[in-house]
Amino acid sequence: MKSMVEVNHFKMAFSGKTLIKDLSFTVGKGEIFGFLGSNGSGKTTTIRALLGFYEPTGGELLMDGKKFNPEDSDVTVGYLPEERGLYRKETVMDNMLYFAELKKLQNAREWILKYLKRVGLADKADQRVDKLSGGQQQKIQLGITIMGDPKLLILDEPTKGFDPINRRLLMDIIDEHHAKGASIIMVTHYMDEVERFCDRALLLKDGTARAYGTIKEIKREFGGKSLDQIFVDVYGENHEQ
Amino acid sequence: MSSKTIQVAKYEIVRQLKKPAFWAATLLIPALIGVLYFIVFVSSNGVNTEPKFDENTKIAISDEAGILSGQVPYLTTESKEQNIEKLEKGELDLYYVIPKDFPENKKAEFYHISEGLEVFNNDGAILKRILSQDVSARVDDLDALVLTGEYEVTDHKLAKDGTDANVLGKAIIPLFVGAVFFMFVALCGNRFLLTVVEEKENRISEMILTSISSKHLIVGKIVALLILGLVQITVLVVPILVMVFLNRDQGFLASILGMIEVDPLAVTLSIILFVASAVFYAGMCTFVGALVSTARDASSFIGPAIIAMVLPLYFMQMFMATEPNTIVQVFTYFPITAPIALMLRNGFGTISVPEFCIGTSIVIVSAVVAIRLAVKTFQKNAINFGVAKPKFMRKR
Repeated sequence: MKSMVEVNHFKMAFSGKTLIKDLSFTVGKGEIFGFLGSNGSGKTTTIRALLGFYEPTGGELLMDGKKFNPEDSDVTVGYLPEERGLYRKETVMDNMLYFAELKKLQNAREWILKYLKRVGLADKADQRVDKLSGGQQQKIQLGITIMGDPKLLILDEPTKGFDPINRRLLMDIIDEHHAKGASIIMVTHYMDEVERFCDRALLLKDGTARAYGTIKEIKREFGGKSLDQIFVDVYGENHEQ
Repeated sequence: MSSKTIQVAKYEIVRQLKKPAFWAATLLIPALIGVLYFIVFVSSNGVNTEPKFDENTKIAISDEAGILSGQVPYLTTESKEQNIEKLEKGELDLYYVIPKDFPENKKAEFYHISEGLEVFNNDGAILKRILSQDVSARVDDLDALVLTGEYEVTDHKLAKDGTDANVLGKAIIPLFVGAVFFMFVALCGNRFLLTVVEEKENRISEMILTSISSKHLIVGKIVALLILGLVQITVLVVPILVMVFLNRDQGFLASILGMIEVDPLAVTLSIILFVASAVFYAGMCTFVGALVSTARDASSFIGPAIIAMVLPLYFMQMFMATEPNTIVQVFTYFPITAPIALMLRNGFGTISVPEFCIGTSIVIVSAVVAIRLAVKTFQKNAINFGVAKPKFMRKR
C-alpha cells in the first residue's frame, strides 16, 4: 500500500522538554488509521507538526512524499482540530461559504444546504454561529472539514460531546468518505470506534509508539485483550482521562 | 495576486461593510463636522463681526483732547455723565470719549449698552475710522492713502535662484496628504491590530491554515483593510472638500486656495509615500496582532503605535528648517517615524529628491519586512491560543 502519510523518526521538544522522542509510522492511501494515546501524550502535537504548525526538532513528516503546504500540495486535507472554533459572529452560511471558496468547492451553496439538511441544521443557515449549541457548531466544523472530498481527513476527537444519534451520523459520513478513497487519521478515546473503523492503529506513550499495527496485531501483542483493556494496561490507572 | 488572497480580501471587506459598527465609526466624524459647521453657520448669523455704522446710528464724541476738526458731525459738548444717561435712555447708540491725555496714553473710551455676550463687538473701531477720515480730509490724497493704510503689499517670495518660491502654496497639497495619512493612522490602527487576533480568539486558525497559507491570509487581510481604510478616508475627506468648495470665495479660505500651487513631482512623491506608509503601518500593526493572542492585548498597543508614527509632528518646527538637524535626520530615516517625517519635509520643501527617495525606499523595505514578519509570526503563533504573548507581556 502506498503511503499517504509518512512520519520518520519524528522528535519534538518544547523549551528543552522532550515530548516526542522518536516516532515513526505510515498511513496508507485509503486507510483509516487510529492515532491513540492518553491526554498530553503528543497526538495533537504530531498532527500539528505534520500540518506545518510546528517545526519538528528532528525527523521528517511527509504527506504524499512532501512536506505539507496548503497551496502547493497534491493532497487536499480536511482537518477537524481539537480546538473547536468558527467565526462566531458570522452566520453559518457565511462561515461555510468562506471555506468553500478557499477550498474552491463548486456549487458551494447547494452543497452546504444539502449538508445542513443532512445534519438537521437546514433552518440554521442564516443564524449566527454563536447562537448555536456546541454540538451544532461541531457539525458545522465537520461540514467544513469534509468539503471538497479531501484526500486526507484528520479528525481529532470528532465525536467528543456528540449524543449517540449524532455520533452514528458522523460515523456514516466518515464511512462515506472512506468509501470514496479518502485516507483518515482518527484521534479518539472511544475504543469501540477504533475497533469498528480502523484498519491500523498506533498507541503513543512516552514519546514513542507503544503499539503499532493492525488492530488484530495489536490485540495479539496484548494477549487477545480488548482495546479498552489494552488502553488501561498501557496508560495505567493514573492517566488523566 | 492569488485567487485565495482575493477571496480573503473579499470576505473581509463584505463582512466589515455589513457591520453597523463600521459605518458608525466611518460616519461619526463627518457627522460631527457637519453638526459643528451647522452650529457655526447658525451662530455666526447672530454675531456682530463688523462695526454697526450707518446714517441711523446715533453717535456722540467728547473730544477732550481737541484733536478733531470741527467738520466731524458727532462732537458733543455735554458732559460724560449726561451722554451716558442718554445711552441708558436709548437716545444714543454709541458714545466715545477722547480724553485730554490721549496723545500720551493713546487710549480712548467707548460706551454702549451691552447686548449680552458680545465677544465679537467691533464698534470701538468706528472711532478709529472717524479719526482717520477726519485727518485724511486735512491732507492731500497721497498722504491720506498712507495714513489710512488702504493699500496692499503683495508678497513675492523668491527661491535662491530667483524663481518664485511660494513655499506655503506648494506645501498645501503634500501637507494635506500628510493630514490624510494621520487620519488613516488614527482611524484604522485598531482594526489592523485586531484583524488576525480574531482567528486566534475564535480558535479557527488551524482549520483555516490547512486551506490557505498564512502568507495569502495575511496579505488578503491587509489588502481588505487598506481598501476599507480608503473607504473611511474618502467618506471623511469628501465632505471636507465639498465644504471647502462651497466656501471657496470666503476671506481666509480664498487666500489659501489662491496660493495653492501644484508641484507635480511633490504630489507624485507624496502619493507614493502615502501608499508605502499605509502598507507599512498595516504590516506593522498586523505583526503586533500576530504576536498577541487576545483583542485586549492587541488594544494596549494601539496608543503607542499611533504615538510612534506621529512623533515627528511634536517637532514640526524643526522640519521647516532648510538645514535638517540630527533629530530630523533620525526621524527621516527611522522606519516608524519616516512616513510622517518625509511627508513634513516634502511639504515644507526641505528635502531633496534623492533624500526623499532613500527615505521612501526605507519605508517600502520596512513594509515588506513587516508583512513577512506578520506572516511568519501568525504561522508560528496561530495555535498558541492562550500563551501567544511576547515574553515581556506574560504574567510572572
